[in-house]
Amino acid sequence: MTLLTPARGKVDAVAKGVLRPRSKLAGHLEPGTQVEVMLAQGRTLDVITQAQTVATYAGIRGDLDRLGTAMYLVEVTDRLTVDHTEPAAFELLAAALERLERGDGAHLLTRTFEMDLLGETGFRPQWDVCIACGRTVEGEEVAWTPSGGGVVCSACRPRYPEAEGLAGTTLKVLRAIQRGPYDQAARIRLNPVLAAALERVMHDLVRSVAERDLGSQRFIEAVRRTASAPPESSDVASCP
Amino acid sequence: MLDPLATDSAPPITRLVEAFHRLPGIGPKSAQRLAYHVLRAPAAEAHALADALVAVKEQIVLCAHCQNVAEQNPCRICQDTGRDRTVVCVVEEPLDVVAIERTHGFRGLFHVLHGVISPSDNVGPEDIKIAELLARLRDVDTEVTEVIVATNPNLEGEATAMYISRLLRPLGIRVTRLASGLPAGADLEYADNLTLGRALEFRQEVR
Repeated sequence: MTLLTPARGKVDAVAKGVLRPRSKLAGHLEPGTQVEVMLAQGRTLDVITQAQTVATYAGIRGDLDRLGTAMYLVEVTDRLTVDHTEPAAFELLAAALERLERGDGAHLLTRTFEMDLLGETGFRPQWDVCIACGRTVEGEEVAWTPSGGGVVCSACRPRYPEAEGLAGTTLKVLRAIQRGPYDQAARIRLNPVLAAALERVMHDLVRSVAERDLGSQRFIEAVRRTASAPPESSDVASCP
Repeated sequence: MLDPLATDSAPPITRLVEAFHRLPGIGPKSAQRLAYHVLRAPAAEAHALADALVAVKEQIVLCAHCQNVAEQNPCRICQDTGRDRTVVCVVEEPLDVVAIERTHGFRGLFHVLHGVISPSDNVGPEDIKIAELLARLRDVDTEVTEVIVATNPNLEGEATAMYISRLLRPLGIRVTRLASGLPAGADLEYADNLTLGRALEFRQEVR
């Protein structure tokens, strides 16, 4: 199994016998739980000899929408990090799960998490200056490219045929989220259109860096399609 | 490093070793041992193994009702008129049907999902037999009033159970989940918070 640790980043380890019903480790080693473990150093892989749950996030586990978001946070972390690097990813994931557990809006906490993790892993998106010429980009309708990792000015846009338009409001919120802190970003009120635009931009970025589609994103979309789905996030107000 | 599969054996033996090695949980050394066991065994035993392998692929079908593996369609359980047709127990795999049948404590019908929602493995709701369950329950002739979701009590199992529950809500069918708590012979000291919490929440009076 894969562990995300505060000191050593992402670490693969073996948990012996966890499929047995009477396993002493199994309950403590559920994906998405925070746990304290004792590792015995192995030749190729470390072996988990003891485990004690620190946080189970019961509120997340009992709510389908929040569970989908948690699965996405975990998968993004796994896809964007490399073994034994980025120890800061642990703090970012733990903080995001804690916010999700206490009922913060899923949209803003996820966007903040994606932005911070991309920054920590060396893929910080560029929202202020053109990725090609470095000139400050302003205006109501600018262009951006996921593979380039940020905005392009009108002069450089012909060099990026894949660049798409980005609304001024969306860009403003992306900049605010990137500048942080989270508590300030969490006060932004999103309408469904803006929330969807932010999600599209950040998913395109994450997909571009991970070089693959994320299964948890597909699951979140399937959950949204369920007929009687309640409003999924407290940070999205209905359109006026 | 020496590759145990790169043997100097005759090609038929190498092919058999490779075939065993493709099975889950069989490493190169075990594959070699199994292959040489077959080689040393009487010809009748080897033929019986080959026949069993072919038969399982040619004679086993999926029951159109419960999606369980069976010799005929509908399967023996779905055909049994003595079973309670108002309750359907939803399980992940055919082996879970065997486990529940072994208890002799359930007389309803089954539905096998053939997997569980697992986004990290890129398995979504459309990749398992949820649509078939929904179609079965939407059938005008259905007598089902309760669906017991018996997926494993782990992250993927819980996500699948909640997803099914949300899909079935508009149908007005009661959706229940298997109780969870401490397994027989467990040690409280090593129980995780979630399991212990559930065991306390769903405690029972001592009779």
